[in-house]
Amino acid sequence: MLILRTLQWGPQHGYGIVLALRTHSGDVLQVETGTLYPALHRLERKGWVRSEWKQTESKQRARYYKITASGKKQLVNNLSRWEQIVTAIGSIMHGNPGEGEA
Amino acid sequence: MKLPWPFASARRRDELRQEFEAHLQMAVADRVAQGEPEETARKAAMREFGNIPLVQDVTSGMWRWAWMEQFERDVHYALRQIRRSPDYGAAVVGTLALGIGAAAAMFTVVDRVLLQPTPYRDAGQLVSVQETNGSDYTWPSPWLDIQSWQAQSRTLSEIAFSAKSPGRNFLVQQANGSEVDAERVSSNLFTALGVQPSIGSGFLPERPTFAADKNAGTLVLSNAAWKELFGADRTIIGKVVKVNNDSYTVTGVMPPGFRYPEGSHETPQVWIPIQLGSDDANRSMKAMQYTVLARLSHGATLQSASKEMSLLQQHIAMEYTNARLRKDHSVVRVQNYAGVLVNRDTRTALLALQAASGVLWLIAVINATNLLLARSVTRQREIAMRGALGASRWRVMQQMIAEGLTLSCAAAVMGAGVAFGSIRLLAHELSEALPLPASATPNGLILLVLVLMTVSSALMSTAWPAFLAVRAPIDSALKQGGIRAGSSRGHHRLRSALVAAEIALSLTLLVVCGLLLRTIYTLRHVPLGFRSDHILVANLSIPSYRFTEKDMGETLYGPLLERARHLHGVESAGLISEVPLGKTFVLHLEMQLSSTTIVAFMKAVSPEIQRVFGFRMAAGRFFGPEDNANSEPVVVVNEAFARLYSPDPHNPAMVLGAKLSKDSPLRIIGVLDDERQKAVAEPAVPEVEIAIPQITPKSGFYRAIEGIAMDLAVRTDQPAAEMIPELRDTLRQTSPELQNATITTMDQIVEDSYGSQRLAAHLLEIFGGSALLLCIAGLYGLLTYIVSQRNRELGVRVALGATRSALLWLVMRQAGTMLLTGTVIGAGMALISVRFVRGFLFGVNPYDGWSLSGAAVLLLVTGLTAAYLPARHAAHVSPVDALRAE
Repeated sequence: MLILRTLQWGPQHGYGIVLALRTHSGDVLQVETGTLYPALHRLERKGWVRSEWKQTESKQRARYYKITASGKKQLVNNLSRWEQIVTAIGSIMHGNPGEGEA
Repeated sequence: MKLPWPFASARRRDELRQEFEAHLQMAVADRVAQGEPEETARKAAMREFGNIPLVQDVTSGMWRWAWMEQFERDVHYALRQIRRSPDYGAAVVGTLALGIGAAAAMFTVVDRVLLQPTPYRDAGQLVSVQETNGSDYTWPSPWLDIQSWQAQSRTLSEIAFSAKSPGRNFLVQQANGSEVDAERVSSNLFTALGVQPSIGSGFLPERPTFAADKNAGTLVLSNAAWKELFGADRTIIGKVVKVNNDSYTVTGVMPPGFRYPEGSHETPQVWIPIQLGSDDANRSMKAMQYTVLARLSHGATLQSASKEMSLLQQHIAMEYTNARLRKDHSVVRVQNYAGVLVNRDTRTALLALQAASGVLWLIAVINATNLLLARSVTRQREIAMRGALGASRWRVMQQMIAEGLTLSCAAAVMGAGVAFGSIRLLAHELSEALPLPASATPNGLILLVLVLMTVSSALMSTAWPAFLAVRAPIDSALKQGGIRAGSSRGHHRLRSALVAAEIALSLTLLVVCGLLLRTIYTLRHVPLGFRSDHILVANLSIPSYRFTEKDMGETLYGPLLERARHLHGVESAGLISEVPLGKTFVLHLEMQLSSTTIVAFMKAVSPEIQRVFGFRMAAGRFFGPEDNANSEPVVVVNEAFARLYSPDPHNPAMVLGAKLSKDSPLRIIGVLDDERQKAVAEPAVPEVEIAIPQITPKSGFYRAIEGIAMDLAVRTDQPAAEMIPELRDTLRQTSPELQNATITTMDQIVEDSYGSQRLAAHLLEIFGGSALLLCIAGLYGLLTYIVSQRNRELGVRVALGATRSALLWLVMRQAGTMLLTGTVIGAGMALISVRFVRGFLFGVNPYDGWSLSGAAVLLLVTGLTAAYLPARHAAHVSPVDALRAE
């Protein structure tokens, strides 16, 4: 889900995704390549992302992943489920229905 | 990206490597930009990335064809393993091939005979319609009944009918006739069967009328007739051919493989459209009788059709004036057409044999399991090593199952060869025992079953060893020495249990086999009532069309007998309308006596036949030269007839001199000892014989007997192979058509009459023998293995003073336990399974003690013999060598 979310900001390559996740989570989330690449290839098989080879700004040839329409739909679904769960957990932890941290 | 998977995956693998490379370079570039020296940056990036090959593997595991690739690697590995120990591979493959081959061969036959016996379109919708009085006997139907059905039935459509053309039929070309099967059929028969001629239009759709219709004088040829008799002439349509003395215009040729009625041989056939005649206008005894078949209408079932037809028949039966006929035609039975072709005995026989072959397959799989278990023990270190290096249990199991699949695929290929080869070898026996031809051509279903058997063989034989192998703790296997690894007690117990199971299953097969062998033995020793040795029988195809105006007795049979009698080496020669057990022609004579009806076999014989067959007389005399056309007409009956006919059933001589019936001129002059007529297992039924010299065209029997069937039987002291050409020559001199007669020995005819029992016995001999071999091999293998595993222990025992005989006893006791357990369980299983073969047995009690104990003794003796070799080996273990070996 996190990967799909990163790709919503635009096509990105594997290394870019690692950087993006690290930056946006304020260095809290560290994605292992051993998790990232299998996940990317799985997402591609499911048709949620597409990939193509492109040049980076530094003239480096890299594989860019792009979210597809069905990937976006999946993300929306996941997001709403995630929020439900967070709300549910939050209401148990704090005793009142309130804001969760996304 | 649309490349086939091996190429596509190579490219993707390459791309993945590039992708990782790009990732690393960018990471390095970023670190360098932050001021790190390139060398450190590179190392840090690598560290951050982690184990590259591992990531690569896990990632490629996500691809669609990943498992295919893995499987391919496993198969490669398996092949390497098998190459490393070819004898082990050969043992497993051979074992499985035997099991798969036997089961596949049986299934091919079952498939052909039971599952898809008819080549007609939508054979499931094709039904046979028979009239009956409610008993098992059925009667064919007269046209008037069929007409009513065609008009009134809603559940049946395309009601078609046929009858065998009477007598012998010859397709005549230039004064030379070739015998063909001729069937008179309704014009819609081919439509009902759903098969159209491959050349020509066939018959025109005509409603049957009593006036000659457009189909009159036309004929359709079978493919065999077209090829053999007309050299596959493509311009045959419209030509005129002669069948006996009548001319017909050919309007069609049926496609190859088409037969009607279904039979076991594809002989030349012709079909002639039925023209209704005066015999069709009534429902009397004399009315023409037809076999009826039809298609179920849309939505109709066998039950609904039977119900509707029987309701209709209630009214139709009222039209019968004869009370007995009315009863015999009172019920209509609608059955699946294919089901009618195969009788219940054959069906049970085939299913029982299929089950037997299944048992053999199971034994083979158990044996393979045992071999693989032994194998997995020797490979325990290797498996433990793989586990230690991080292979998951599932992965190791996958690998072992792939090995099993490789082995069983090889076995399946061999097995299929065995199966189709054996069907070819057994072709003669199969055609004697089965109503339909069993061809050795595989079809989709057979291949599917073969694949299923292959996969299940692999899974069954590898799953357990694989499961045990991966469950074993890694550390102990690695720590222990190679040789003694894994010889756990539980493991031995499991393998012993498998061998015991094999023994039990084999015993079951052997007991059933024993019962059938006893059946065959009993059958062979049933007094036949005649001699079968040194007799040649020619089944004549009588060209009766040549003799329509002549007396065949004088012009054909007389000269033929005269010639045959004077052949060199012939002691005596005689004619008989059908030799005992001949199964070629049966004529019934129905006689109304004061109290009962006697249905008797009717045979025409020449006086010399008694000397050929050695028929014995119970009373009176046989025919002699004095019985000729001018003397008083006489008959000879058999004892079964006399028992029914005579006022005193125990004194057959009482019938001598009596007239056959009140107003018959025939006088009984002799009573024959009963002889076997239709089957060795069936007791004699009443029989009446008349002398050929007394049958003249004027007598009532002439048409019924002389022109149709006649067997020439000669007693000779010459070998059959020398005699047959001479006999054929004699036949040709008498009439050219006769040279095509089938000539066999009487012994062969008797042998063939055992039919399904002999086939079953033969097959079970093969199955039982193979089972015995497999389980003995299994026992021997296990004991040899155990002895080699216990080599050191045995050595210690000897060193401590154990005697040789004690060691021998030690191993033999182990074998004995397995054999006894297996035998006891097997005996129980045998007692249950003999119930399924009861229908086959003759003169043997299914719970026959001899077969059971014989099979058990055979198994125990061979088992102990097989055990003796490893036991002797154990007894001769040298303590020094055994102790030094470690």
